[in-house]
Amino acid sequence: MRRLTHWKLLALSAITFFSAPSLGAQDDEGFGLIAGGSPKVEIAWNRLYDHAGLQGLMDRLAEAWPGFITSEAIGTSIGGREMRVYTVSSPGTPADQKPAMWVEGNVHGNETQGGEAVVYLAWYLLENYSTSDAAKELLDRSTLYLLPSVNPDGRDSWLQDAHNAHSSRTGVSPIDNDGDGLFDEDAPDDLDGDGNIVQMRKHLPGEGTHRLNADDPRILERVPANDNGIRGDWVYLGSEGIDNDGDGRINEDGVGGYDMNRSWPSLWKPGHVQYGAGDYPLYWPETRGIATFLYAHPNVAAVQSFHNSGGMILRGPGAEVFGSYPRADLAVYDELGKDGEKMLPFYRYMIIWKDLYSVFGGFVTWTYEGLGIISFTNELWTGERNSPDSRLSQSTRDRLFFDDHLMLGRGFVDWHEVEHPLYGTIEVGGFKKDVGRVPPSFLLEEELHRNALFCVRHARAMPEVSIGEPSFEDLGDGLTAIDVLFENSRAIPTRTALAAKKGIGKPDQFRIEGSGLEVLAGGFRSSRWRPEQIDLAEVEPARLLRDGGIPGRDFVRVRWFVRGSGKFQLQWIGEKGIDVTQEFELP
Amino acid sequence: MNSDQFPTRRARLCLGVALTTLGLCSAPVFGAVTHAPNLSARSTAFDSSEPENEALDPILELHNHAALEAAISKLEREHGDLVARIELGKSREGRAISALRLAAGEIEAGRPAILMVANLEGSDLFDSSLALHHAIKLAEMYGDEERATALLNEVTVYIIPRANPDAAEARFATPLYERITGGHGRDTDRDGRNGEDGPADIDGDGRILWMRVPDSEGTWIADPTDARALKEADRTADERGIWKLMPEGRDFDGDKEIAEDPPHDTRVNRNFSAGWIEHDAEYGLFPTDEPEVRALADFVLAHRDIALVLCTGAPDTLLAKRKTVADDARSVKRVPLDGTFKSDDALLQRIADDYKKALDGAPTGADHTPGTFQRWCYDERGLLVISTVLWEMPKGFEAPEDEDAPESDSTDVDSEEHRDEHSDARNTGALGYIDDEPQDLKPTGDLDADSEADTDSDESASDEGNEATHTDAEGNEEEDKPEPTDDAERLNWIDGSGETWRFADWTTFEHPDLGTVEIGGFTPYARNEPPELERAKLATGHFEFLLGLGSKLAKVELFECSAEDLGGELWRIKVVVRNDRMLPLLTQAGKRTRTSRAARLQLDAGDAQLLAGPKQVQIRDLDGNGGRNETTWLVRAKNLDGVQAILVSDHAGSDQSTVEVKQ
Repeated sequence: MRRLTHWKLLALSAITFFSAPSLGAQDDEGFGLIAGGSPKVEIAWNRLYDHAGLQGLMDRLAEAWPGFITSEAIGTSIGGREMRVYTVSSPGTPADQKPAMWVEGNVHGNETQGGEAVVYLAWYLLENYSTSDAAKELLDRSTLYLLPSVNPDGRDSWLQDAHNAHSSRTGVSPIDNDGDGLFDEDAPDDLDGDGNIVQMRKHLPGEGTHRLNADDPRILERVPANDNGIRGDWVYLGSEGIDNDGDGRINEDGVGGYDMNRSWPSLWKPGHVQYGAGDYPLYWPETRGIATFLYAHPNVAAVQSFHNSGGMILRGPGAEVFGSYPRADLAVYDELGKDGEKMLPFYRYMIIWKDLYSVFGGFVTWTYEGLGIISFTNELWTGERNSPDSRLSQSTRDRLFFDDHLMLGRGFVDWHEVEHPLYGTIEVGGFKKDVGRVPPSFLLEEELHRNALFCVRHARAMPEVSIGEPSFEDLGDGLTAIDVLFENSRAIPTRTALAAKKGIGKPDQFRIEGSGLEVLAGGFRSSRWRPEQIDLAEVEPARLLRDGGIPGRDFVRVRWFVRGSGKFQLQWIGEKGIDVTQEFELP
Repeated sequence: MNSDQFPTRRARLCLGVALTTLGLCSAPVFGAVTHAPNLSARSTAFDSSEPENEALDPILELHNHAALEAAISKLEREHGDLVARIELGKSREGRAISALRLAAGEIEAGRPAILMVANLEGSDLFDSSLALHHAIKLAEMYGDEERATALLNEVTVYIIPRANPDAAEARFATPLYERITGGHGRDTDRDGRNGEDGPADIDGDGRILWMRVPDSEGTWIADPTDARALKEADRTADERGIWKLMPEGRDFDGDKEIAEDPPHDTRVNRNFSAGWIEHDAEYGLFPTDEPEVRALADFVLAHRDIALVLCTGAPDTLLAKRKTVADDARSVKRVPLDGTFKSDDALLQRIADDYKKALDGAPTGADHTPGTFQRWCYDERGLLVISTVLWEMPKGFEAPEDEDAPESDSTDVDSEEHRDEHSDARNTGALGYIDDEPQDLKPTGDLDADSEADTDSDESASDEGNEATHTDAEGNEEEDKPEPTDDAERLNWIDGSGETWRFADWTTFEHPDLGTVEIGGFTPYARNEPPELERAKLATGHFEFLLGLGSKLAKVELFECSAEDLGGELWRIKVVVRNDRMLPLLTQAGKRTRTSRAARLQLDAGDAQLLAGPKQVQIRDLDGNGGRNETTWLVRAKNLDGVQAILVSDHAGSDQSTVEVKQ
């Protein structure tokens, strides 16, 4: 697996991938691939953790694998929680000189399990570092930048306060959603104080729109339109709450009221066009901290964002007006997306605006359209995963069956009476917040694993450049033509087509240098067979620049015309791969 | 984008950035600069009858950052009851950005505010002086002059004299270089190095000018009417270029290009989010990345009392022909159409009439330029924005006696034509005005103020038929007498006005990289610094215009608050809210963006029992000049003592009234 060129590279640039971690014998055989093995760090993967809990897990990993994890605070959330990015990479080559993958979760506060998936990714690679060549190679030649929770305030509120599956998507900066001059004054109310925000219904015999399902009275169903005078005995009254501000509406101005996944600079649109966008791009400190980090880390070559739910592997564009992505980049997206479909049962690889809905100012559209990085959003979890066998369907009845028999009924609040200030005696009941969008505990680990390993698939595709053995043509009178292949063995190009087209970041450099060597001309060859077809550099032939970089699983053929003799060095310098230097000698 | 995009773009950036100097006036030592190269020459050229010793109000000189801040502090010190300084934030280079808040008396809830912003564009330094002048005048005239007193009694005026202090400071540096950019610096020439080859003063004369380089592949020739001006060779007319034109500079990075990668690329007034263009260095890394932009945006967001925004500098939102869209225009592919809503356009037209009365013959620039503060305020905050270009170098010299001639119909017509010429030609010259990129090669939306001005004025000219007539009339003469380029006409104005510092004659120089070249051209700031003799007139006229704005702002009032006795202790209460000012409560844009709050009307029923009617009415639709909103309630009470209507707004006043029983 490891190429000879690596060793040469090591020798020359004094980069020491393999020498550093003196892990010692206690590190033994690792864990993941061996039945009966026990992990070095025991973590319960069948539960969710709050923000402090997630950071605590990362701290445990950092302690167990010294030198592999560093972290830095990139800011503070509106609610005062520290935003900490964890850098995971084996010691040796500095992390910021390796190609890196940014992985984050939970930008929507209620979409919690992405946070655990991020931590799982670090844990699984570290646990397997000493036994799996693939894990070792990944952490040796690349870096992970991990932010388990983009929205720690929303996360903790969802976990700790009364919510339903969909609430607490926002951050907690107060917004006057109903324009009455008051902020966050009419949130949902936990009428019975049981910690759940569920549904409200009222019994109104002969005056209602709904009826109870004949087989399962927990299910409220609409009475079909009819001319037979058949009416329902129930009305559905929406989500649990009262009209706190007395404006005639219920739950219309809750905590926050915006969407941090609509605040990113590429194709950003203001709030009246795109709900929740913020007053300008990167308006919230959480988003600005991340953007500042990413602008300062041009080595990021892959991005993954974890959301829930629906079972999707999403890519941009987020809006039709963008047009389409360059073909070369789409080939990379398609390869990874289709592999993802095989790794993630029931997940579909989709285009955001076309197959889901339009999103202006989304995160992964910015990281691609703005930063030129291949980026995915996964929507973790889908109902089919509860019942891969079609004999259990997705109907509400079967969802209740699942809850009754596989969760012992803990996911559903049975309907019970409460007093409501406006509606009088009503009933509240329904599925709890952790049903529907997060996996049940016993399926959580599998969900985390498959998604984390999709990131590994993506990260392993990040560029890896090597320099081939040069060939020499003696042109007489001390002149030599040197032909060199610079190869990228991975699927992701060193410069995406979009980055090249828009001039994002710096072009790749292909250099030659030797004390006994004068470089007279040089350029990129376009034909293997016709050496005269060459795009000659106008200036600085010893430092060739290429905005298009080295395409994925391809090479760039360079020819230099030199005078002189002796040893010389060839070098590739790029933002999204480990720089390579190699020494050769003219014959 | 094709590969030859780069050289073209590079040329545009460099030429746009590099302007030139001040021949005779050496770099100032003190905080203020006046162009006083040759006083006697100037007064002779203008009007010999004018007294030579009429001194320029020192406040209308140009001020560096320290001097400006000192003047602000002095004003605050001397008029502490009326003036307070607010610091918005710091520029990228760490200079404070200050606002002056002017208001008299108690600040009641909902008092409207006018926000004035100057010097958004780095080279518009005179605008800062004008803004400062306004602040001082308002403070000094309060209590003595009726309109100034009324304005500060009813309205809060925020004045930000210098929104772009870093670029402005270049006006006081050596070598003199008209800097309009800031930002991180980008790798403009894509060689992996940032900002390594910017313009430079290579002949050591203290200023950065232009170079014309003899080259058989050049594209420029001398204007046949004035050899100092350049004209683009027309190959179809059998002309061959003899010069290449480039900013004064070296090939520091050895790539055979001169001054193609300047250290600064981003313009503050292109870094706002509205219409922002990605991957264009002029627009910055991301919207609000420039600290000045974020500070200004945050200031606007934090001040809900702002009812009107008054800017100086391009883009012109007032006098230029605006691109309009229907009030009910629908989005295309979910993106709203770009332009001014028809009903807001009508408001601006009425205000423009006042402006023209106050400042005759004002030049126009483009409207709705992407990434600007002006466009952000309107598109994304729904605020009415009045922005005008105060002065730009005229083309052709007019006889001085015209200035003193009384206004008549015929002079009005002249000045209209004059205006058209301005707008038409603003960017067609070679030196300091250039936009050498053909329109059809430009990336979509990649328009700067200059090029939009071109487009717009073309439209306006053909609309009014002026341009067509003009061309026809001159068409006959064309063969005999070549038409001067715009630059030649500008030179004509310089010659006539005696403003000789604005052009440096071409001078031979041995360039270390290029051999023999000529250095010269329009000097830095020549384009937009008004002559001293016009400054007082501009300041007075613009101040006059400002004084008239306060009474136009929407004001919500309880016009009627009455009760009808229905018997049985039942009362029907009727409340009418009216706005008798010219401007509506919300612009059409404001109704769309929903960023300005509605006025809120509530009935405080006291002991009465509320039987019908809303708890709170949010009023958005309230036109100017008598726009009304009517609400009724039904209450039950023995009498209506203590029942009152309460009306509040963020930017259009507040009101409160007890209920009057109808007889």
